Formats: sequence, structure tokens, C-alpha cells
Amino acid sequence: MAEAVAAVEEGATPLAGATWILRSPIRDEKLAGSYVAVSGLAELRAIETGDREIAIGAAVTHASLCAALNGSADCAALVQAAGAAANPAIRNVATIGGNLCAFSFAASDLAPALIALDAQAEIYGVSGPERKPIETFLAARAHLARGWLLTRLLVPRNGRISAHARLPLRKAGDYPVAIVSVSAKRSSDRTLRSVRIAVGSVEPVARRWPALERALEGRSLDPEEAAEAARERVGDFQGRDGVEAPGWYRMQVLPKLVRAAMCGVLAQA
Amino acid sequence: MSISLTINGETHATNRDPLTPLVDVLRDDLALTGAKAVCREGFCGACTVLMDGQPVVSCLLPIASAAGRDIRTVEALSDGGELSPLQKALEQHDVVQCGMCFPGMTVALTSFLASNPNPTREQVKQSLVGNICRCTGYERIIDAVLAHAQAMQGGG
Repeated sequence: MAEAVAAVEEGATPLAGATWILRSPIRDEKLAGSYVAVSGLAELRAIETGDREIAIGAAVTHASLCAALNGSADCAALVQAAGAAANPAIRNVATIGGNLCAFSFAASDLAPALIALDAQAEIYGVSGPERKPIETFLAARAHLARGWLLTRLLVPRNGRISAHARLPLRKAGDYPVAIVSVSAKRSSDRTLRSVRIAVGSVEPVARRWPALERALEGRSLDPEEAAEAARERVGDFQGRDGVEAPGWYRMQVLPKLVRAAMCGVLAQA
Repeated sequence: MSISLTINGETHATNRDPLTPLVDVLRDDLALTGAKAVCREGFCGACTVLMDGQPVVSCLLPIASAAGRDIRTVEALSDGGELSPLQKALEQHDVVQCGMCFPGMTVALTSFLASNPNPTREQVKQSLVGNICRCTGYERIIDAVLAHAQAMQGGG
């Protein structure tokens, strides 16, 4: 690990699954001058389930995450996100950390799922390990000073139920044009408590939907009502235009995705 | 810097750039042309090979990442000129297509059936979401896979 961080400090770019980096020329991006391969580091490939949190190494692949955490009540949205992203052959090599460190990739499934689950990112730099809320990390990652390595994602085990909904233009194997991840604390009266709603692929970086969270807090878990509340607030986003969908369309489908995610939460409540 | 690759059980050394996609070494240096470099974006699956038994797209796999791993291409699915049971089933059901996507499909299905010997139709479809066909489609291929799986379970 120290050797890898030293290489990064000297200017090398971390390389894990490489599925994003090898497509740099297609995006008219230059390859870096040097890379340091990190996917072989045992510390980055481990998944550890503790009493208070689940620690997922940044070089864990999407497929490995699904295999290890399938059925874990604390990570439902994340497992759904990792299992739906891209296609099986990509999921076998593409890593969690690589996905989150692809700064210009707006359609990450993992980003909104981790935000909804209130996860933290652990980065390792010259001063040792440091934790940041995942949303803070995502917003700041492109501007961090050189010499850091994303090492782990930490998902709290706090009794949240969660679900992930996405809309690709094909049924599978495609980038989603919009994504909604939802989590909430369990409550005996089926009301939404401590609800977290995250939206991905609509704007360049995934983020929470605070106004919708406030509107739904304490209300009964009703997917139709949630969709209606979302419809009234889609103007909170500025949809990005892209070859696969215009910005207005990404915003327009959000209520349906909120409804789908809430149905997923309801099924676990 | 020399990189050692294990392809279909044989060791090959290459001095190519470590970021060279594996598919280019397979096709250009080793004459293993079953894997096709079509989209080079990881979407079409025509370049699918097995790495340690799992399907991966060789167009997005740097040879440096393939070093020390067991790589199997479609050429290795047969044994001494004898087609694999899956390959025989695909031939017998007359679902072999133009040859562009089909090697990748066969490789992906080989791995899928190894871990899912008795799949549902939906599971077979899900296993092929990364293998795009531009010819006749998928339904008859899925029929053949299901018939093959049933036969292997002793039901056909």
C-alpha cells in the first residue's frame, strides 16, 4: 500500500479494472504518463463485515461485491446497483473504487446507492487514512491535491432498508439515464424515518434530494405519494444533456424512479 | 519489460506496452482470432475470453492485468478437436451465426453454465446482456442453451 501511495504521490495514476481508463482515447482523453496497478493489493480486495459497519475494499469488483453481500440487509441498494451496472463481463473486472474515481462518469450506479446508505470513503494519503462522507468525496474528488488513493468504502450497519431504481434505454447492459436510490430507518408504523434519497446520472455528480427527503419524512411509506411529491420537485435538478438522453427527460422520469425505489423499500419494510 | 501471459495453457512472453488490450495480442501476435475487436468499449462482448474461469472483455483488459491469470479463449473450449458439449448443442440446434458475436456468446455461456447448470430462461438472457448480436437475435440460441442444460441434467 505504501509503495502504491508513493507512486501516486510521484504522479502515477491508480489503475484497477482499467475498463474506464482503456476507453480514454474514445473520450478524447490522453492516457496518463504512468500508472500504478492497485487491484492486486490484498488490503483493497477485502470485504469485512463488522458490528457497526461493512468495509469494502476499493479494488473489490462489482461481481465480488454482489457475491459477498447478496442478502445483506444493510446493503440492499448497493448490491442492486453493483449487480445491474454494465454487463457480466465488465462487472467481473470493474472495481468499486475505479467506478467512483472515474470523475467524468455521471452514470455511476454505485454513487447514489452509497449516498443513500450514508457511506463514507476512506482515502489514504501522506498523512495516513482519512474518512469523508461519500457525497463530500464525490463532489471534491476531482480537486483533491495529488497523492491520495481511495482505499475503502464504509457502509454503516444501522438498520436501514434500501432500494435502487435505474432507467437504462435498453433493459440491461446500458448506462442508465437516471437513477434513484432510497434508504430509510425501519419503523413499526411503516412511516419513513431518517429517509435518504440520492439521484444519479441526472446531473454530472450524484447527490441527495433534500427537499424530497424533508417532504417524505414521517409520512407513510406510499410509493404513489412519494412519486407525486417528487413530481412537484423535479425542478430541483438541472438535467445534463447527453447523447443518450436530453436533460429534461432525465428529470421527467425521476418520479417514476422514486416510485420504483419506494416499492423496493416497501417490499422490505 | 517482458510480460508473461498464460493463454490456453501455454505461456507466452510479450514486450508490448503493458496497457495493450489483450485482444490485440491474441489476434495479432498469437493468431487466436476467435475473439473479435468490434466495439472496443466493452458493450458488444465479441472479444469475450475467460480469465480464471470468469468472462471478461479482452478489449478492455490490459495485458499487464492479465499476467499471472489463466486466460482461455474460444479456441480452447474444444478438446483435441472435439467440440465441447455446449458447442455441439449449439451446432445441433443450428443456431451458429455469422461468427462475429458467436465466439463471445459461446465463451460467456460456457462460464455461465458452469455455475448455473439448470438456469431459467430469464437467467440465460441476463447472462447474455453483454453479448450483442447483429444478425438473427437471441431466442433460438436461448432455446438451444435451455435444451442443452436440460439434457445435461438427464432430462433430454
